[in-house]
Amino acid sequence: MAILSLRGVSKSFGEGPQRVDAVRDVSLDFERGEMVSLVGPSGSGKSTLLAMVGGLLTPTSGEILVDGVDIARLGARERTRYRRDQVGFVFQGSNMVPFLTARENLLLVAGFGGMDKGALRRRADELLEELDLTHVAGHLATRLSGGERQRVAIARALMRDPALILVDEPTASLNTELGERVVDALAEEVRGRNKACLMVTHDERMAARAGRLIEFRDGRIRHDGSVASDEAARSDRG
Amino acid sequence: MLALIEMKRRKLQFAMVTGVVALISYLIIMVTGLGLGLNERAGTGLLALDGEYLAYASNANLSVIRSRLTDAHVAAIEDAPGVERATPVGYVAAVVEYGPEESDTAATLGVVPGSFAEPEVVDGRQLEAPDEVLIDRAWARLAGTSIGDTLPLPVGFDSRDFTVVGVVDQGYVFFQPTVYVSLEDWQALAYQGDPSQRPAASIVLIQGEDVAGASGDGWQVVTKQEGFENIEGVQAQQSTVDALRYMGLLIGTLVIGVFFYVITLQKVSLLGILKAIGASGLFLATQGMLQVFVVAVVGVLISVGLAIVTEATLLSSDTVPIMFNTNSLVTSSASVVIGGLVGAALSVRQVAAIDPIIAMQQQ
Repeated sequence: MAILSLRGVSKSFGEGPQRVDAVRDVSLDFERGEMVSLVGPSGSGKSTLLAMVGGLLTPTSGEILVDGVDIARLGARERTRYRRDQVGFVFQGSNMVPFLTARENLLLVAGFGGMDKGALRRRADELLEELDLTHVAGHLATRLSGGERQRVAIARALMRDPALILVDEPTASLNTELGERVVDALAEEVRGRNKACLMVTHDERMAARAGRLIEFRDGRIRHDGSVASDEAARSDRG
Repeated sequence: MLALIEMKRRKLQFAMVTGVVALISYLIIMVTGLGLGLNERAGTGLLALDGEYLAYASNANLSVIRSRLTDAHVAAIEDAPGVERATPVGYVAAVVEYGPEESDTAATLGVVPGSFAEPEVVDGRQLEAPDEVLIDRAWARLAGTSIGDTLPLPVGFDSRDFTVVGVVDQGYVFFQPTVYVSLEDWQALAYQGDPSQRPAASIVLIQGEDVAGASGDGWQVVTKQEGFENIEGVQAQQSTVDALRYMGLLIGTLVIGVFFYVITLQKVSLLGILKAIGASGLFLATQGMLQVFVVAVVGVLISVGLAIVTEATLLSSDTVPIMFNTNSLVTSSASVVIGGLVGAALSVRQVAAIDPIIAMQQQ
């Protein structure tokens, strides 16, 4: 069974003539272990879709089933708990709490409750190790480089062992080489830990590092396929 | 703990606001102390009298200075309904030269020796004979007079020597330390004319029940507290001090409120991210309130420390009428802490209003 299923999901903003249909009747399934790039021009609806899956926006209509539960129907408190326990977010900008060290940023989620602190501590050290961050674990977030900061953000997203990893433009502030390293680290964690990962990006080279690529245009799916066939299609055209 | 780590890592900002809170709290404590001190100077001597009611001449407008009662008045007051015991008390301000070129005014109260108006001595003995005087501790501190010394009290342009036989702890009347003489001696000090024309008392001290409001031909009775509040200047001084205290408290509340409002504004995007990754609004608000609480409590503790040091150094002399008691310190401290938490309520609303979607909207 798919870990995440979207059934006829639409989202519109505003009323009457100001009404904007950001997402129109989108239905998709995602499996565990799958890394998916969401691409498309700005305003195509990819970020709105990510926000809805992450429980930051509620759809105007349709169902978003995570492990069989429709998160569109959750109340505010359950939605906060859903984000805490089942979603790992990596945002594009200043992800970190600036006055905490890298390690403290990971342990921060311990303060949100619902998990054993000893287990969180072990997990933080394990993730710092895997993401090659042990040497900067005690550095304040403000002293980390852009690449280190995004890897800490990935580690934080994995801290509570969520089913979904949602990533919004993870490489916007990085050069190509650093960006590739960050996305590769992310892909490795997603496959190794059997998560489903949705990554919004406008960088085609980053998008190509995912297994599946979904292209949006005007709130609809324009293309959905594996990256290999996608590249084949592109080379056919070329 | 997120809140405490933030305070530790942003020491300068939090130290500054704590310092400001400490100074405001210190100001409130000092003003409250000034209010208590002024009250004490104005008339604790009157409040310390061992009775519940005071009778004044009706034309005196509840002024001890202006009130004069005759023997007939005193007798009528003794017979008024509800009065159990009544005793005349005389008042005169006497300029005392206690050393070469050194003089001060003593609130000289005339009492019937052995009556309940005569205060208990804390040292020495009670009044027994004419030309004896009991002095308050405040006068002993001021003039260095002690038991066995001679205290010259003025009679017209001359003076009459009184022997200090006891020390009492009654405080001040009209900002003057009190001294006690017999009623006859008081009459001689206060009125130099025909002895048959001398008033019998300034006021009458009464023990009894439900006597307040009683009045007769030329006299009226009020509670001791009402008599105290009608001492010249007491009400004005109390309302000034209260206005200063409330202003201080308002400023403290606003400073804490504005500080936390601004640092919350600075952190809106961060708080949005924390909400997006699963922090509840309650968790974040609790962290904010914890910071407010720490700032207010530390600030108040510093101010109490400052106040205690001030009392031990500056105020050990008798010149500044500031006094503290545990009650006033606790009240002032608690009001600053509560004011701070009220001021921070604005920031809590702000935190609650942050929509976690902003985590995806920043560049």
